[in-house]
Amino acid sequence: MIGNDIVDLALSRTESNWKRKGWVQKIFTAIEQHYIFEADHPEIQVWKFWSMKEAVYKAHQRRFGHPPKYNPKDFNCTLGGEVMIDKCVYKTSTIITEKYIYSIAKASNIEYDTQIFDETLRMHPLLLQKIAENYKIDSSIVTIKKDGNGIPMVRIDQKAEDIPISITHHGQYSAFVIGLE
Amino acid sequence: MTKEELLSKLKIIITPYVQNQEGLKNLTENTDFIKDLEINSANLVDVVLDVEDEFDIEIDNEAMEKMLTVKASIEVIEHKLAVK
Repeated sequence: MIGNDIVDLALSRTESNWKRKGWVQKIFTAIEQHYIFEADHPEIQVWKFWSMKEAVYKAHQRRFGHPPKYNPKDFNCTLGGEVMIDKCVYKTSTIITEKYIYSIAKASNIEYDTQIFDETLRMHPLLLQKIAENYKIDSSIVTIKKDGNGIPMVRIDQKAEDIPISITHHGQYSAFVIGLE
Repeated sequence: MTKEELLSKLKIIITPYVQNQEGLKNLTENTDFIKDLEINSANLVDVVLDVEDEFDIEIDNEAMEKMLTVKASIEVIEHKLAVK
């Protein structure tokens, strides 16, 4: 199982005030808060943990078919990149640049393909093409549709397939990740 | 406080975070904050904090995890006001 999440740092600065009273306490565990306030760049640590939680939320929701829930504090991040939720452990890896923070979460040792875009419009056709290449089929028969829980599902020739993918957008950036068999 | 009053107060609270203005025009109990209004998930915590300030209530994690729709949020607020 796989999940991803991207944070556009410029947008996060206008959209959110993480220093707002109570904000950090509603989202982060006591241990995470400690790491945030001890960090050289607390703002970066906030969004790193946030993207780890969001990426794991998506992987976990897809794995168990959970309905949507707003429970960021239930996801316990470590500095090493592990995230614990409901007795499951996920591994995450995070890329941090001056412009964005991007996390990928996985439940097992699955290999994956991922790509980041700075123009959202380019992502969708490339994602379809990537899936088509992996399964050696024509991209015209690949479609992606969200299910009732908002989880994107790949369909090949109208038939639902069990292909793990995750998509994320924020501000100027978007990204996909596909699990490889 | 009537349900209508609650709904209009909630509408004022969520308005600054809404990215899909069409969804706001057609606001009903069934409106989903993320799907219909495109509120960024990091801003949902601002909605929760604003609700706490406006109604002078405390929203614990258990209540917060439900607050993804207008209906669920109104239920949480009504419940917290009732036990205040």
